[in-house]
Amino acid sequence: MKELRFRLILVLVFVGLSLYLLYPTLQDYLNSKEVSKDLTKIEKEIKAKNPTIPANKLKDIITSKKDSILSNHPDYRDAREKRIKLGLDLQGGMYLVMEVNTAKLLEKLAKDPDQIFMGILKEAEAESKISDENVVTILARKMKEKNIRMSRYFGSIREDDDRIIQKLQEQETDAVTRAIEIIRNRVDQYGVSEPSIQKQGSRRIVVELPGIAREEEARRLLQGRALLEFKLVKDASFAIPIMNRIDEILAGKIKDSTSSQKEATAKKDTSKQKNQTEEQFAKDHPFFAIARLIDPQGRIADAYVKETDKAKLNELLQREDIKQVIPDNVEFIFDAKPVVGPDGVNFYRLYMVNKEPELTGGVITDARAEIDQATGSPEVTMQMNADGAREWSRITGANIDKRCAIVLDGVVYSAPTIINKIPTGSSRITGSANMDEAKLLEIVLKAGALPAPVDILEERTVGPSLGQDSISQGINSALFGYLLVAIFMIFYYKTAGSFADFALFTTILLILGVLAGFKGTLTLPGIAGIVLTMGMAVDANVIIFERIREELKTGKTIKAAVDMGFKNSYSAIIDSNITTFFTGIILYQFGSGPIQGFALTLMIGIVTSLFSQLIIVRLLMDFMNLKGYKINVG
Amino acid sequence: MRLFENINIDFMGKRTYFYFVSGFILLIGLLSILIKGLEFGIDFKGGSEVAIQFEKPVDISYLRNVVNKIGLGEVEVKTFGGSTGVLIRTTLQEIPKNVLPVVKSRIEKIINDNFPNIEKQELESTSNSITYSFSNDSTAEAVANKLFENGFTSTKTSEEISKTGIVVKLGISDWIKDNLSEKIKENKFNVLKEDKVGPKVGGELKRDAVIAIILSLIVIMIYLAFRFKFAFALGAVIALFHDVLITLGVFVVLYGVIPGFNLEISISVVAAFLTLVGYSINDTVIVFDRVREQIKIHKTIPLEENMNLAINKTLSRTLITVFTTLLTIIVLLIFGGDVLRGFAFALLIGMITGTYSSVFVASAFVLEYANRTNSKVTF
Repeated sequence: MKELRFRLILVLVFVGLSLYLLYPTLQDYLNSKEVSKDLTKIEKEIKAKNPTIPANKLKDIITSKKDSILSNHPDYRDAREKRIKLGLDLQGGMYLVMEVNTAKLLEKLAKDPDQIFMGILKEAEAESKISDENVVTILARKMKEKNIRMSRYFGSIREDDDRIIQKLQEQETDAVTRAIEIIRNRVDQYGVSEPSIQKQGSRRIVVELPGIAREEEARRLLQGRALLEFKLVKDASFAIPIMNRIDEILAGKIKDSTSSQKEATAKKDTSKQKNQTEEQFAKDHPFFAIARLIDPQGRIADAYVKETDKAKLNELLQREDIKQVIPDNVEFIFDAKPVVGPDGVNFYRLYMVNKEPELTGGVITDARAEIDQATGSPEVTMQMNADGAREWSRITGANIDKRCAIVLDGVVYSAPTIINKIPTGSSRITGSANMDEAKLLEIVLKAGALPAPVDILEERTVGPSLGQDSISQGINSALFGYLLVAIFMIFYYKTAGSFADFALFTTILLILGVLAGFKGTLTLPGIAGIVLTMGMAVDANVIIFERIREELKTGKTIKAAVDMGFKNSYSAIIDSNITTFFTGIILYQFGSGPIQGFALTLMIGIVTSLFSQLIIVRLLMDFMNLKGYKINVG
Repeated sequence: MRLFENINIDFMGKRTYFYFVSGFILLIGLLSILIKGLEFGIDFKGGSEVAIQFEKPVDISYLRNVVNKIGLGEVEVKTFGGSTGVLIRTTLQEIPKNVLPVVKSRIEKIINDNFPNIEKQELESTSNSITYSFSNDSTAEAVANKLFENGFTSTKTSEEISKTGIVVKLGISDWIKDNLSEKIKENKFNVLKEDKVGPKVGGELKRDAVIAIILSLIVIMIYLAFRFKFAFALGAVIALFHDVLITLGVFVVLYGVIPGFNLEISISVVAAFLTLVGYSINDTVIVFDRVREQIKIHKTIPLEENMNLAINKTLSRTLITVFTTLLTIIVLLIFGGDVLRGFAFALLIGMITGTYSSVFVASAFVLEYANRTNSKVTF
């Protein structure tokens, strides 16, 4: 037994690890069943409200609602995060490839584009569509052919062409970064679970938004240009009384609202486990329990809101009785990025600002993040055009010591205090915690000034219901595939065949475990890869069993035959699997999304099936031999 | 049970017959590729595709009629999944010029119906978007939302301080959907999937696909040359070429022949080609491995006989593995749904030719090579 022990432990460790890694997936599945029950009520509500809604559309909406509950609710989130990631083709969602439109950017950047310039630009754009060359390079070449210096349209007179080309290329890279930030900002606000926004190559952006039911809405989200605004933050003396009033209404201290009464009692019920003072506070001050004032003395009116409470707060603020106490000219807005509080909870800062912006970002001509030479801390400098500078001078002059929020698409990126009147538009924003933060602010400020025009090159949307269908098709194929292969193996190779079947089952378990452990994505072609692996994985065993039969025929004992069978088969098995593995790597490089999922399961399948077919089957056979049982190879 | 015990077939002796068989199939395939041409999916061609599912079964020919009247030229309409699913596809990237006025009037009709006497100004009109400007901010927002409800992707431009502009995107599939919901009112539909691929991406993918297949052949050749002799590597790669070409030929010959069976070259079919390259090399490697072993044991026997022995000895394994793999591929073909059908079909054909070619192309090539050069194949 000793000689088997090491292998046995090895197998048990791997199988145990796989089961451990797959547990969240099972948990998530059970959660999803639980949530489905609750959703039938919502489904009825939607139906009652909109009786003409197509059944499939309803299904889509419910599926994506379920998705968002499972990935956001604290009880379910953990399992959701650790489960096997499903590709967009199984989950439903949107896949987009976007590219920054350099021609449009150049048109915006050009000093005074005339007919000649536009003509050349159009030619360059047309040419870039069929060549790999960059628009900037093509444009530069065409200008050179026509003997026009780049400085006629870009940069300053003294700069030579090479320098200008380099600068334009920098602008292009900048535009990509900007576009990514704008998209990320909007996607974050939309609340898509597990979005992925990645740069591909030098000018492309790949966006993956899983679980989107209304793709029109998502598309809308990504298009349209960014809006940068400067909004004055309200003083505490103005904001806190309003917040107090909201708090009082919610607490039911003002008797005119029955619904708020209910709200308050409901709160009491849910927080029974918490300690008495907190419960009491939540009951007395429902608003401040959600939006905790940052400064206990109340010098500023900013508050922190837990990430999980954001939706609740927005809902509260939409209530008619609450709306009545908030003046028409102010609004509450959140910070773009959360602050991580103690015990890892994300908090968003909430501001009360003037609804009407003082200025919009179109006036900004440049922004730059740099290190202040004197203090060594990062800062952002910003320049404005003449109109903007005039306005800015008036605004800053009138609001010294007040704060001005820099708002991009409705969320705050920074809210610096105005220290003095800025007459020229040239401003310095200090207080960034690090260079990354300053860099982000630079991108945001530029987003208002320079557009980052993007074209959609490729767009693929899969509705949630198709995804569900694909999952069941995939599972059915896997089940039938396994059964057919397993039955055949037992039929043909008897006991040895059943060992192979057991190993095959382990292989599937290991593939899924590896996928979950390495955060790989399972796609429909990926499931096909698993099904195919079942057919191919027994290959190693077929080779070995055939060899064992041959050896038995020469009169060897079963033990010797097993030893020789395995020994003589290794080289063929390894060679053939390595070549398949190579094509798997190439496939992974070539494909995108679903195909990569296939390549992934194919490669994992090769490695895990070799492990099971060579080690587990061998282990079982050695065990049988050791115990003196007869092995029937058919 | 033993199915293939003690068989002794003179495979190599009959190889010339199979040269004709292979040659004949390849010729038919190549001729149809030349005549019919390769039928690419929108992954490679670029275009728009939308799969929708109606609540009730639809008459496909009626639907075809409706779609063809939209003025988008040749639009493919076929069933997708069951009797309620429809796939509509066009290679157009943007709405053609002659249809633009129709689209525009439809948009303006929506605006005028919902906002009578509204003041609007058209700022810009291109082949894929129209920009309007309105008297004030909230009107612009309301119009954008109304158009959005009606299926047009419209957003506020919101770039200028005034914020009164909206952009309405004109997409092919939006226009198709808009027309369908207008004309088929009694049977509502839902979008299952929607793909749009630009021409640039399609071209790049085509290039990448060819590179990927050639690269995988080269990598396999290098590896095999390293493990066996160069003649073996060359024979194996020629066999792979043979498999890919025959599978491609079968795709072209059968395209449009079997109803409800979509045999166009899509990304997943290319993935299947790469996979079959990886898998069909297995058989060849296993035969070669046995040949190598035979040559070592029986040094005096001529190569042809050694090869026959090796092939006969591995025949059982080869056929059984192919059988189990075909089982799973057929399962995929039946249960895998529309998305995987082309993929599974390519593998089905490829797997069969792969097994065949490991004997009659790869091994035969090595034998011919050895005979011609009179070199003794040793290891």
